[in-house]
Amino acid sequence: MKAGLEVHQQLATRKLFCPCPSELSEEVEGTVRRRLRATGGELRALDPAAAFESALGQSFVYEVVPTSCLVELDEEPPHAINAEALDVALTVALLLHATPIDEILVMRKLVVDGSNTSGFQRTALVAVNGWVEVGGHRVAIDTICLEEDAARKVSETGGEVRYRLDRLGIPLVEVATGPDLTSPEQVREVAQAIGALLRSTQRVRRGIGTIREDLNLSIEGGTRVELKGVQELRLLPKYSREEIARQEMLLRAKEELHRRGAKPPSGGPVDVSDLLRDAGPGPVASSLKKGGVVLAAPLPGFHGLLGRSAEPGPRLGRELADYARSVGVRGILHSDELPSEGVEASHVEAIRHRLSLAPQDAFALVASTDAAQALGALQRVIGRAALAWAGVPPETRDPLPDGTSRYSRPLPGRDRMYPETDVPPVTLSVDHLTALGRRLPERPEETRERIRGQYALSNEVAGVLLREGEADRFEALVRKGHAPALVVRLLTHDLPALAAVPRAEPMSEASETVLDTILTAWEKGQFAKEGVQPMLEGVLVHGRSLVEAASSAGLAPMSRPELEAIVEGVLDRNDALWRARGKAAQSPLMGDVMREVRGRRDGKEVAEVLEKALVRRLEGLGGAR
Amino acid sequence: MGEPTVDPRRKLAKLPTGSEVEITRPDGRTWHGILVPATEFSAENVVVLKLATGYNVGLAITERDVLTVIERARRPRTSKPSGPVAISPPPPATPWVALLTTGGTIASRVDYQTGGVKPVRDEREILESFPALDAEGPVRVVPVFERFSEDIVPSDWVALAEKIGESFRQGARGVVIAHGTDTMGYTAAALSFMVRDPPGPVVLVGAQRSPDRPSSDGFTNLPAAIHLARTGDLGEVVVVMHDGVSDDRFTIHRGSRVRKMHSSRRDAFESRNAPPLGHIEGKRIQLGSEARRPSGSPIRVDTRLDARAALVTYYPGLSPIRLRRFVRADRGLVLAGTGLGHVSRLHIRALRRLITNGLIVAMTTQCLGGGTDPFVYSTGRELVREGVVYLDDLLPETAYAKMLWALGQADDPARVRALLLEDIAGEFVHRRRLEGGP
Ligand SMILES: [Zn+2]
Repeated sequence: MKAGLEVHQQLATRKLFCPCPSELSEEVEGTVRRRLRATGGELRALDPAAAFESALGQSFVYEVVPTSCLVELDEEPPHAINAEALDVALTVALLLHATPIDEILVMRKLVVDGSNTSGFQRTALVAVNGWVEVGGHRVAIDTICLEEDAARKVSETGGEVRYRLDRLGIPLVEVATGPDLTSPEQVREVAQAIGALLRSTQRVRRGIGTIREDLNLSIEGGTRVELKGVQELRLLPKYSREEIARQEMLLRAKEELHRRGAKPPSGGPVDVSDLLRDAGPGPVASSLKKGGVVLAAPLPGFHGLLGRSAEPGPRLGRELADYARSVGVRGILHSDELPSEGVEASHVEAIRHRLSLAPQDAFALVASTDAAQALGALQRVIGRAALAWAGVPPETRDPLPDGTSRYSRPLPGRDRMYPETDVPPVTLSVDHLTALGRRLPERPEETRERIRGQYALSNEVAGVLLREGEADRFEALVRKGHAPALVVRLLTHDLPALAAVPRAEPMSEASETVLDTILTAWEKGQFAKEGVQPMLEGVLVHGRSLVEAASSAGLAPMSRPELEAIVEGVLDRNDALWRARGKAAQSPLMGDVMREVRGRRDGKEVAEVLEKALVRRLEGLGGAR
Repeated sequence: MGEPTVDPRRKLAKLPTGSEVEITRPDGRTWHGILVPATEFSAENVVVLKLATGYNVGLAITERDVLTVIERARRPRTSKPSGPVAISPPPPATPWVALLTTGGTIASRVDYQTGGVKPVRDEREILESFPALDAEGPVRVVPVFERFSEDIVPSDWVALAEKIGESFRQGARGVVIAHGTDTMGYTAAALSFMVRDPPGPVVLVGAQRSPDRPSSDGFTNLPAAIHLARTGDLGEVVVVMHDGVSDDRFTIHRGSRVRKMHSSRRDAFESRNAPPLGHIEGKRIQLGSEARRPSGSPIRVDTRLDARAALVTYYPGLSPIRLRRFVRADRGLVLAGTGLGHVSRLHIRALRRLITNGLIVAMTTQCLGGGTDPFVYSTGRELVREGVVYLDDLLPETAYAKMLWALGQADDPARVRALLLEDIAGEFVHRRRLEGGP
């Protein structure tokens, strides 16, 4: 494999072309409806991806939030580029040993999917030709860009896409490696190394979605495919492996098509609704019942190449279905998976006959209540099938949570950029660059060594803190007076464990204040270490306040008398046990007490109270035995 | 492959944009790209290259850089229309619309190499940007002049008025004027007085976002304006612009009551003192009872203007001497006074002298909302006694355009004063209602 990475990191400065704060917001103040148009000449000349998006004829709805102004709405020209954000990008460039451009020019990158109200994303090449050392190897950094983030997609229904303006305009530093990565593990390591370097500037946003990776990957004989917007860094090796497998599958299919001497499909879709009137329950029957149609398209030479969904691994059938879905249908049925879904063997025979198929041929079906939509879907299927002769089509793909990916749109052309005439260029002075070079932040490897010594951490713990990007938070919390061991446990054990908690909404980022408060409560003995996890979950996953989280986790601070009352209650109920076993009853009784205390007091203290009470009762019996 | 040269700066200065070059920097790095024009703000020694990735970079060239010309461009590269667009000559039976272009950004095309914007010159070019513009019927593009909105002068209003008359005489159903937004209010007001009883709509339209962005408001408001011109039951000069910041509703403003009230928003235009004449939503045109239907009388185009007039906003500290110097060569002065129409009492004597010498002085309010009234305060009473003409709720810009027109119509100051006060194009509201706010 050959892969390159683009790491996009949001900065914690104000927005790139307006003074709005770089913060997400849940407070929608109103909506605006827009259309975007990439004009004729420019589309044909410039960009297949833009043509594809513009052809969809969608209207876009933008949610206005308090963290947006007229600039995000494209109701006011962009202000001059945020000097602070530019300095962060330049600092990153210097950390990566790259050469800054003499005069930085802002470009407009055409994007008419609605994610930018203007119809383009503003981006500037800041520096080139750097490198980063990972695992003893130098990895080339081709470019460092500074660009504006896109609006956040909220929903997509029918022909309407809804975006929120909060994320639009947040500065992003984009670091692109050369196409030099050769293993799935190396992809992750390089992403981690670049991430740590970006965080070392201390000017980046944190939390899910604040750093996103685009993975460009091809294998021998394959084509460059872009997986856009990977948010879970730990899944990068999985995405790489899945994409390798997918390209291998496509190359095998290509070889087989050529071996069979098959020719790309030439016929168009055919209406087969009349052949399927008596189909059993399934998408076909339900579409026909609602007055819809079922169209079929011949796929010459594809018999056995499309795969069955029960089989593991990538399938060509799924690739065809993804293209069909891009026009809005739910999916396709194809002959490799039939009979099923109410389509019987006799139907399959009738369709094969209608399409005059040879044994090595396959076909695809689309059922829809909208005939035009079904036709469009099958035309896309036919178009995608024709690409199978070339092997791997160049595509932009969406990463899915299971490690696979889905077709999103054609790979953008190279020339989709033109100058942003509203923003003046920035000439970099040698003095300014020298000054930035003098106050470069500590490099990640220096930080690791320093905190290892300063806080007496093991090599491993210091490494984990750096890799997870927690070194600065670790230091901040320790400076607030918390014990390093507790902070390490919180940051490297309790917080990451939350990722496994199922949730509907993305988790909100743990602020330093929240972590500080939880640590303080813990240290004050308001709950034991068992209580840390439920507290974090309550606050970060369920969005509760600290007090609410404590009470719903049964962690409301417990007073000493409360604890003593629990202990007395347990002793009362287990009268026979402690009378029979004396001091040896402490350990079975401890379990009962802890169940009632539920982490609201430290275990050691509970044991002390229990022991004291037990001894007192045994003494009351006339002396311990 | 060309030969490396010794003096890169001199060589680069002579090289046409669009040439393919390689520049080797003192650090050994070679840049390969197409030479494109530097920006107005680029440093003097900076050369801008468009790289294969699409990015432009500015390189500060010194004598230590080495230039290799890969391919010299024959002539500057311009983006060409990518193919002929068929345009059917208007059959006599089909109602056609005249689209007068003035150089405003709405009817312009972008050069994707430089990012610069160029005006369209014919149907083919406009249909490139607006593919469905003639879906309802033919549109004839009539270039009148090519000027930024802020460069337009009263003689341009004359040229436009003449083309409007000519278009209607040739059988146009309606006329659309693609105009820069900055001075569109002035032009609309002037045309309201110069073109009377048009047999169809005269619609001014402009873009607050230039069409080099996919989000340009022109992509939706120009088709709306054309639709109104082709089908609207309207016989007056209007402005059609966005109703809000969404792209789905447009407002029809009377040309003599409209003002640009925001420097950048797409809903910048407002009808002052009265509600707009109507709205356009999709193909639906809704016109209120105030909108003037075609009168049935023949169109009258009167292009006599006298530009010897000034528009002055009064401000604290404006001295009579300065004002007098400003209007020395003029026949008319429109004042945008404070509040109900006031200037400092210090001006009363000076104005009396100017008026006695033949200057026509008209008063409007810089509040841009509400009417003037000379009788509430003593200053106003004195001003009106000295002969200042109070123009009620006329916008200062409209009053200025009307002054030029009125001066063009008559020499006698009394007649000019009478024309100023006469309702020519529905420009006075007089009856202002609570709705709509200040
Ligand atoms: Zn803003």
